[in-house]
Amino acid sequence: MQRDVGSLPLSPALRARLLAAGFQTAQELLETGPCGLSKEIGISREEALEALQVVRQECAGDAAKTAGGSGSTRKCTALELLEEEQTQGFIITFCSALDNILGGGVQLTKITEICGAPGVGKTQLCMQLAVDVQIPECFGGVAGEAVFIDTEGSFMVDRAADIATACVRHCQLIAEAHQEEDHLQALETFSLESILSHIYYFRCRDYIELLAQVYLLPDFLSEHSKVRLVVIDGIAFPFRHDFEDLSLRTRLLNGLAQQLIIIANDHKSAVVLTNQMTTRFGQNQSMLVPALGESWGHAATVRLIFHWDNTQRLATLYKSPSQKESTIPYNITPQGFRDVQPPPVTQNAEGTEMNPRKRPRREEEK
Amino acid sequence: MAAGVVWVALKGHPLGVTRHHCSVGGPMGMLRAVCPHGPPWYPRVRYGTPWVPIPSPHRSLRFHPRSAPSHSAGAMVVLRAGLCPGLTEEMIQLLRANNIRTVVDFVSSDLEDVAQSCSLSYKALVAVRRVLLAQFSAFPTNGADLYEELKSSTAILPTGNPSLDQLLDAGLYTGEVTELAGAPGSGKTQVCLSIAASVSLGLRQHVFFLDSTGGFTASRLYQMLQARVEDKEEQLEALQRVQVVRMFDIYEMLRALHEVRDCLSQQVESSAGPLKAVLIDSVSAVLSPLLGGRQSEGLAIMMQLARELKTLAKEFSVAVVVTNQVTRDSSTGALKSALGRSWSFVPSTRVLLQGRAVPWEEGAAPHTACLAKSPRQPTGMQVQLDIGSDAVQEQRPVTPTP
Repeated sequence: MQRDVGSLPLSPALRARLLAAGFQTAQELLETGPCGLSKEIGISREEALEALQVVRQECAGDAAKTAGGSGSTRKCTALELLEEEQTQGFIITFCSALDNILGGGVQLTKITEICGAPGVGKTQLCMQLAVDVQIPECFGGVAGEAVFIDTEGSFMVDRAADIATACVRHCQLIAEAHQEEDHLQALETFSLESILSHIYYFRCRDYIELLAQVYLLPDFLSEHSKVRLVVIDGIAFPFRHDFEDLSLRTRLLNGLAQQLIIIANDHKSAVVLTNQMTTRFGQNQSMLVPALGESWGHAATVRLIFHWDNTQRLATLYKSPSQKESTIPYNITPQGFRDVQPPPVTQNAEGTEMNPRKRPRREEEK
Repeated sequence: MAAGVVWVALKGHPLGVTRHHCSVGGPMGMLRAVCPHGPPWYPRVRYGTPWVPIPSPHRSLRFHPRSAPSHSAGAMVVLRAGLCPGLTEEMIQLLRANNIRTVVDFVSSDLEDVAQSCSLSYKALVAVRRVLLAQFSAFPTNGADLYEELKSSTAILPTGNPSLDQLLDAGLYTGEVTELAGAPGSGKTQVCLSIAASVSLGLRQHVFFLDSTGGFTASRLYQMLQARVEDKEEQLEALQRVQVVRMFDIYEMLRALHEVRDCLSQQVESSAGPLKAVLIDSVSAVLSPLLGGRQSEGLAIMMQLARELKTLAKEFSVAVVVTNQVTRDSSTGALKSALGRSWSFVPSTRVLLQGRAVPWEEGAAPHTACLAKSPRQPTGMQVQLDIGSDAVQEQRPVTPTP
């Protein structure tokens, strides 16, 4: 096929030499053969063979696609994508307001970013999601496993155990209420030990370890194919100090973002990142914006910003391809990430007189 | 060997030059690599090294009256026997011994010296040079012809957003590259989805959506279609006309664009149909990992991509829309499109989208679009966009209520 030499994935030095020698299309390269090629541009025969191998692969890939139609797994019509999306599950967060504004929960195959000031609850939500991804399908979960990459050292196992216990208790209550066969069966495997054993924890101390971990993740995920959630708690921390060359930082972050989106797509898992906040100085005021700069804002598909309003924690959906921007309140309880309890309904005097036998109605915790 | 379509329209030019053609691999030397002069949109690379355009065999010959040839006949083609009638194998060997390997070397060297050192006849060399120059240079066309051709081949596609149409002078022009730039959350993907919905539903044309950020949500596109038309059949048909390709790497993107070109040039009706719009969501996502730092190879690939997009737009009369990020201008603090000065010459129209700066603090500030570069409208025009005005339906309760 008539692919330009400039568009083939060869090393830049080799490409420059090929262009200087006058080669234009891939076809010419293949016609010349390895001996001719090594003579023309002055490289060793092995290198010429390797280069031709790459070229042949590219051209074979092209031919397969044009002949077979949609041979690649990543090309389809919007209708097929719609059907796929409708059958895809969400990872619920146990806070129904947050699930509503996200359109059902944290979506698989997308990158979700959570930004917030220290102490507002980002790590709590990450731990909650690592537990929630394991909820069996009969209870409405995705029955997957979780990978937790920690750069700040904020993962506390006792807290995760508390959250897991509360989640198991919740599912037991549902099973008792409904009394169905598959619920009881699923409950046998859904226990504290199994939850904690399916959270794969990695600790990365600086940005090189983090990059290495992310680039090695596809191999890990192909062995553990049940993983449906990858959490990176603190993507800003290793990149914010000790970096003299800011353009290098931007390049590394962009490469990281592309690698994460490839992981999310290929393994059908959700990627959740947490980010810190930094101050930006405007004309006469300063405001808190997510860290790591403007270009990082494009990496995540869905962006949530957690902030305070006096003593109430609020979550704002700032960027989403399919949901409107909105703000909801949430709470962190001993059981984990939850909704805000509406204030108990106070019955007035007539109400109790009219029906003294009825207990005053209160919203049960969901 | 598979061949592309060859359209040869001889226009009565004294040298029998071809107007449009696609290259066919093969022994037809005369119809082979015809490469025009470097088009005016290739600036010099910032570090001072001149960028030599690599000729593409799929380029058409005409060039606009307003573009002037700025380089010499930039053909880096290796001299080969059969390239033109007077060029024989022994001649090529002799020339090679004197370090003349490509057409550029031949044409730019002093023929008297060459005749002496290679012991070839001066007349033969002059004849060969004339034929090579004729073969490898572009020929001008007059403005009236060009205008007629543009009138017949250019279409204007509505974007589905009346205020944006007004900004773009009635819509997207085919044959041109349009860029939408904006901060995260400013609505670029939404505008792209709206264009896809409008072209696929209103004009019944196929749309190619290349997604490199994972932001394409089919359910949102479906929502937009539902807001425009009631009939379910039409909605599903419109969805089928949108082809989505997900690629997250620059080489995959180049491959995908090459595939589109192949499909179109072979006029395979089944998959690519009457394609009118190609939308690329985030060119910067695949290019920014390569730019910056001390290597300059990122710029080379960026220009390769630029050429693919331009060729696609011009040759097959499609409207190409790309989205880009924004960066802050270090001196003024204003927002401007990313990817630098070299990329700024590639799109002919640039629109800057702005959303709210800090949404959770201020009140609702609407999305605006500002025209940063346009060949037809005054720059600085600003309109208010209405993103998300399509009726958002009741969310069906996906959260399982225990």
